[in-house]
Amino acid sequence: MTSPTAELHQLAAIGRLLTGIVHEINTPLGSIFSNNDVILRSLEMLPGLLDNPTPESLAKARRVVETCHNLAAVDKIACERIRSIIRGLKSFSRTDGSELRKVDLNQQLLDTLKLTQAEFRKRITVETGLADLPEVECYPQMLNQVFLNLLVNAGQAIVGDGKIAVRTRLEEGCVHISIADNGRGMTREQKARAFDEGFTTKPLGEGTGLGLSISREIIEKQHGGSIDFESEPGLGTTFHIRIPVRQGASHCDSERA
Amino acid sequence: MTQNGLNPSVLIVDDEDMVITSLKAFLQLETDYDVHGFTDPEVAARFADSNRVDVAVSDYLMPKMNGIQLLARLKEAQPEASRVLLTGHSDKQSAIQAINQVSLFQYLEKPWDNSQLLLVIQSGVERANLFRELRQKVEELDSAHSSLKNVQKRLLQAFL
Repeated sequence: MTSPTAELHQLAAIGRLLTGIVHEINTPLGSIFSNNDVILRSLEMLPGLLDNPTPESLAKARRVVETCHNLAAVDKIACERIRSIIRGLKSFSRTDGSELRKVDLNQQLLDTLKLTQAEFRKRITVETGLADLPEVECYPQMLNQVFLNLLVNAGQAIVGDGKIAVRTRLEEGCVHISIADNGRGMTREQKARAFDEGFTTKPLGEGTGLGLSISREIIEKQHGGSIDFESEPGLGTTFHIRIPVRQGASHCDSERA
Repeated sequence: MTQNGLNPSVLIVDDEDMVITSLKAFLQLETDYDVHGFTDPEVAARFADSNRVDVAVSDYLMPKMNGIQLLARLKEAQPEASRVLLTGHSDKQSAIQAINQVSLFQYLEKPWDNSQLLLVIQSGVERANLFRELRQKVEELDSAHSSLKNVQKRLLQAFL
């Protein structure tokens, strides 16, 4: 189990994303409601068109049926969109993930990205380069929290338009995950204090100053992994996480250049 | 509904393709309007620069240009068009800003109700037509006024 502070921090992070998530659900939902209404209206219209058929009424009936087909296809896409957002949220729910499990980390990363998508979509391009990975033994809910922290940080570091790259790689018993942004980067002083509890550069209400210290706790203490970063002011920041594929089997050390 | 034999023209702008597909299908089933859908607000703005628009329905959060910026630009190009914001982002601040800045005709939230949307668009079309008629009458009055002035001037010249 993570500490109560870590849990509160996680709730705050999701809370801040909530407006975006609501927007992201309302759009496909709007489509589904509208399509349902159009299909019902079409069904009411069709008997009239077919009862006293003329070439024109039959042509119209065919167009109406074709439209309904198209709308049903749109509904499916809309439902899948909502389902993927819910899956992203579910991976943070307490019921499914405080015990050690074998999971596909690529999928966990994609699910977490779904939650930040609404915040990012308008200004940030997300690139993913995900290698084939074995299932990794871990506490998935905790790792998702780390991914969310790093993704939110990356997004906040970018002023205006920018790019975030998420990559995974297999390295001798460890999975290496990198999250890179081309945002404002950190100064020497910020780099030195980045993992300090309570240290934040964000305005009040946007950060608790706990994200990175909790992330380090989760990666190093709970998983025997490593977390470090490179950062250049004006160029951006890249975080590297390394997690052993099997718990207890090995340690993953950072590979500082 | 039809003015000068032209079908009313409705502009729909949303960066989500599915919203445009849904609204187009609905309006084509229920009306004879010409519906123009765009996922890119800049392309929509260029369309409105050179084509008549009676009602413009725009999303708020979009890349490149938000709905308020788009509707503001539309207001210059098509002053008579009725402007509607249809947003999934229930943000009061943006609503107030929109109403003040671009004199919005209606503010609607997603998920929307088709019957309500239809009423809004129909009355938007009517309003745009009335504005155009009004402008035409004012122009007619202006020209009548200036020709009257001319007559008066010639009368005065003839008699004085």
